[in-house]
Order: sequence, then structure tokens, then C-alpha cells
Amino acid sequence: MTVAGYQIRLQRRASLPGWKAAMFSILAILFGLLLFSFIFLQADQSPKEIYKQIFRYAFFNSYGLRLTINRFIFLAMASYAFIIPFRAGLWNIGMPGQLYMGALAAFGVVYLLGGKTGDLAVAQPVVLVLMVIASMVAGALIGGIAGLLKGKWNVNEIVVTMMLNFIAFYFVSFMIKDGGPFMNVGGRGESFELPEAARAPLIAGFPYTLVMVFVLMIVLYVLFSRMSLGYQIRAFGKSPSAARYAGINPFKISVLVFMLGGALAGLAGYHYFGAVPGVYKIARTYGYFGDLSFYGMICGLISLGNPIATLFIALLFGGLSIGGRYAQGKLHLGFGVDYALMGVLMISLVAFQFFYNYQITFSKKPTGK
Amino acid sequence: MLAFLIRSLEAAMIFTFAGLGELVDQRSGILNVGLEGIMLFGATLGFIAAKTTGNYLIGFLVGIGIGALLGLMHGFFSITLGVDQVVSGMGIWIFGFGMTTYIGNPYTGPLGLERLPTVFGISPFFFLAIIMVVIVWFVLTKTGWGLNIRSVGEQPSVAEVSGLKVARIRYLCVIFGGMMAGFAGAVYGLYYNPVWNYNFLMGWGFISLALVFFSMWNPYLLFGGAVLFGLLWQLSLNPQMFFPGLASRYVWRMVPFVMTILVLILISSKWFRSRWGAATPEALGKPYHKK
Repeated sequence: MTVAGYQIRLQRRASLPGWKAAMFSILAILFGLLLFSFIFLQADQSPKEIYKQIFRYAFFNSYGLRLTINRFIFLAMASYAFIIPFRAGLWNIGMPGQLYMGALAAFGVVYLLGGKTGDLAVAQPVVLVLMVIASMVAGALIGGIAGLLKGKWNVNEIVVTMMLNFIAFYFVSFMIKDGGPFMNVGGRGESFELPEAARAPLIAGFPYTLVMVFVLMIVLYVLFSRMSLGYQIRAFGKSPSAARYAGINPFKISVLVFMLGGALAGLAGYHYFGAVPGVYKIARTYGYFGDLSFYGMICGLISLGNPIATLFIALLFGGLSIGGRYAQGKLHLGFGVDYALMGVLMISLVAFQFFYNYQITFSKKPTGK
Repeated sequence: MLAFLIRSLEAAMIFTFAGLGELVDQRSGILNVGLEGIMLFGATLGFIAAKTTGNYLIGFLVGIGIGALLGLMHGFFSITLGVDQVVSGMGIWIFGFGMTTYIGNPYTGPLGLERLPTVFGISPFFFLAIIMVVIVWFVLTKTGWGLNIRSVGEQPSVAEVSGLKVARIRYLCVIFGGMMAGFAGAVYGLYYNPVWNYNFLMGWGFISLALVFFSMWNPYLLFGGAVLFGLLWQLSLNPQMFFPGLASRYVWRMVPFVMTILVLILISSKWFRSRWGAATPEALGKPYHKK
């Protein structure tokens, strides 16, 4: 193509330096936020004013900040649940199902210890450890189904994880509604409340799951950059057939990445229903948290699977979705602003994928021709 | 009982419309996993258009139109920009899921129009679905167009050398796929379940996608699979008809999703593949770069 004497050509990139990738990711987010302004304009609001309100509430208001951090923990875990299979070239969109099962398993521990009706027989640390382990195991098991089917028969993991989401969704309904075993005694279509001893301790006002996020970041960083397993996962993601020649077992990799991812999504379920102050039950609107976990997919894609970059994006998106909800209530915008934001950010990200793959070069057209 | 069967066939026609579009799409080598997002858009915008104008025809046209646009968008991302097709499809799904939740919310509730007429108790769209199955089968297997579409999906570089415009054919196919998905969504939102609620499509787009894999890219098998799933879906909504008192309604609601997974396992097994020779279009999902 030629414009004003310059020849414009598209070239496929052989490699993309880290700082450039980061720049494109930031541009993708900014472009998404710019696009999203149109929704505010359409609602007759000044985008600048609304963004100011969103950020002020999400990050500079002590109540809002607490909500943001809680959501950040959740999104970070959901993002990691997406990233681990993604590095192996596999798509885990089963975070909702995995987190539902994780939450159910954590509540199951309390239920079995008699926590539905009375006090627990065991000490708090024991209960907490059991809840965390149960949530991770449950998430790993349901996630592992997709990995097993992918590894054994090459069944499409996108469809399988999506179907598992619906299955787990109804399983939660079965457990907490219509006289299910976990139903609240008052029968409000939600689960029983956790007794005092099963509630997560707070550190400086934040649930202790916040510490887990940073531990996970270090673990994932070490896994992908220092360990042979991480190398195998990445090699498999780059080229499954080449990895096979290198002696990497595809079955093992796909089961493993889905189990690891599922375990972290399960932990995210434990966090939101078992550790966030003021919740401590599986709410009637649990589906909302499942939907929210799809933000994890966007975080994982924008950060290109980098566990450290993911945290910054998860913090930003956590703040945006909390602030968006706040702005929605305050300015009487329609329901679902945070859903719309998710959609717009995602499509902006897809458009920017182009820049990860191609570069545009300008060159002066040779004259005299 | 008759009502049950009719409802099942009406569910089947929606799976068929969406699946046929995706089938043509995939035959040309483009995988669109964002089917659910396009259907949600078709259902929601079609619903809003019909509700505000009081005219069904406008609703369906809007559904088809938005489907075409989203198909074009998927084509632009995956053919022109060379974006990974799964990333683009996932983007369209999340875009549809997020935007329709916001856009449709003020219209939550029933459509409030007179029901569309039926022929012998069943929707005329059912017959349209059958006609479409035959047409798509005929075009794909008996005409030059079909040969072009299939060769572009198998060996795009060979097709290009023999004078076919790969990008153009693929664009036409994704736009067709988008129109069919948008239409399927509109039929869902205007006829099958005319009560808008957020994400009311309940994964039908993903089930249609699974049906395309199930069909081994054969329109007749797609239709058969759609009927099977229509029956299962209705059964899961009305278990008391056949198994009164057995298991909670929530357990029944899981059945079609469990069945989808089981069917996918069956058709992915080595036994099935060697027995029936499932022929995946060779270039499916691979971006094609013109040399």
C-alpha cells in the first residue's frame, strides 16, 4: 500500500521485545477505556468525570479500596487459573465451574465438622487449612476432567470447560436451594453462614488470601522461568508436535495444567465466599462471581501469561469493576456496567493482538521509477 | 407429549441454524468459537428491535444484520489481521456476553407481542431449517462453490495457486456463519424463549459448536444431532413427564451439558474416528498468509 509517497508494508514479527509487548498491552487497555467512554456519553455523562469518580472510589476511598483488594485477590487467582493452561496452549474457560466447586468443597468441610448448625469441634487453624485444601482439590478435580479428556482423546477443551461451568452452576443450586444440604436454615436460596471459627482471619483489614496471591506469583514465576516442568509447559504451548519429539508427554501436561489451573480457581471460590468480610456464605447471586472470573481470561491474555504483570492488571480491573458498580448506582446507569466494560476491554485486546504479530514499516518509495 | 416433541424440534431448529453457519465457516477453514456471543447479540438486539417497533420482521432482520457484522468482525480479525482464531472468537463471545447484559437490561421481561403463527402446531422455521440443511448440503457437495469452499478449508495455498481468492471466500463464509448465528439467536429470543434475561441463551452457542464437531462437518448429521439435543434439552426441563419425582430439578438441568461432554468423548475416540472417518478440514483454525 502506498500513501503520500511512502510505502507501507506489514511484516510478521519474529519476536517481540518485552517492553514493546508491555506497551501494546497498556495501549490496548487505554483504547478499551476510550471506547468505553461512548457508553457514558450515550448515558449523557461526562466520561472524564465518571472515570475520576471510578478511580477515586476504587483506590482512594478506604471502603472502596477494601472492596477493590478483595476483588483483586479473586481476579488474580482466576487469572492464574487461566494462565497455567494458556502457557501450554490450552484454553481454560472453566474458572466459574472450578470456583463454584472450590467454594462448595470449602463449605463441605465446615458442614462435615458440624458448622452448619453449631460450633466447630476443631481449632480455627485446622478448619482453615482443611477448607483451603478442599477448595483446591475440588477445583483441580473438575478442572482435571477437561485436561484428561483433552490429553486422552483430544476433546475440545473450550466446549468441555464451558459445559462443566453449567453443570457446576446447577450443582451449587442443588446444594444451596430447594432444601439442599447446604441450604440456609432461613431458606433464602443461599448457603448457611460460616461460623466464627471458619471465617478467614484479617491482616490489616484484608483477608489472609492476599498473602496467598503473592506466594502464588512467586511460585508461578519460578515455575515458568526456573523449573523444567515450566519449560515443558511452555514448549508444549509453542508446538505440541515438536514437544512430543522432545520427549514431553502431552497427556501428562494437559492433565497437569488443568489440575493446577482448576486448583487456583477453586481457591478463588474459597476466597470470595469464605474469606471476604461480610460475605461468609454462598450468596444467591453466586453466578455473578462466576461471570466475573472471565475477567481473569482478559488479564491473562493482556499480560501474555506473565504472572507478575498479571497482578497489576488484576488490580486495575478489580478497581474498575468495583468503581464501575459504584458509578452505576450513583449516576443511575443501567445494570451491567462492569459486564459491558469486560466486553469492551476484551474486544480492544483482540484488535491489539494484531500488533503483537505484525509490525508496520514505512519506507520512502524509491523515486525515479 | 406432542407439545413436548414439538418443543424439542423447535429447539433443534435453533441448534441447526447456528450449527449450519458454523459448519460452512469451518469448512472454509475458519473456526469461530464466538458463536455464543453472536447468538446473544442476535437474540438481544432482535428482541429490543421487535419490542420497540412491535414488528417481528424488523427483529429478525436486526438479528441477521448484527450477526453479519460480527461475522465480518471475526473475519477481519482472523483473516486480515491474522489474529489467532480462538482469541478472536473468545473476544466476540465475551464482547457479546458483556455488552448484551448491559444493553438488554432495561428490556428485561417478556416480549409482549402476539406469538408467531405455527403450521400444524410447529413453527414454520422448523421447515426452513430442514430446507437450509438440504441447501447447504447441496451447495457444499454438489456445486463448484462448495468445492471452492472445501478446497480453501483443506489446502489454502493450493487453492490460491489454482486461482481462488482464499480471503474472499473465507470472508463470505464467516459472514454467512454470522448471519445464521444471529438469526438463530433472534429465533431464540423472539420465538423460543421470548422473555429477555441476562445471558438467557444458556450456552446454546457452545452446544451448537459442539454439534458441528459431532456432525463431522456433514449437514445431515448436524440436523440429527440437533434433534437429539433438542429432545434432551426438553427432557431436562420436564423430567416429571417421564420420571416423576426422580432427582431434583437442578440435577436434571445438568443432563444436556453432561450429554454434550459424553457425545464429544464418543466422537473423539479412536474407535469412532477410524470407523466413521471424521474428516476435519485440514486447514481449520490455521491462519493463512498469502505468499
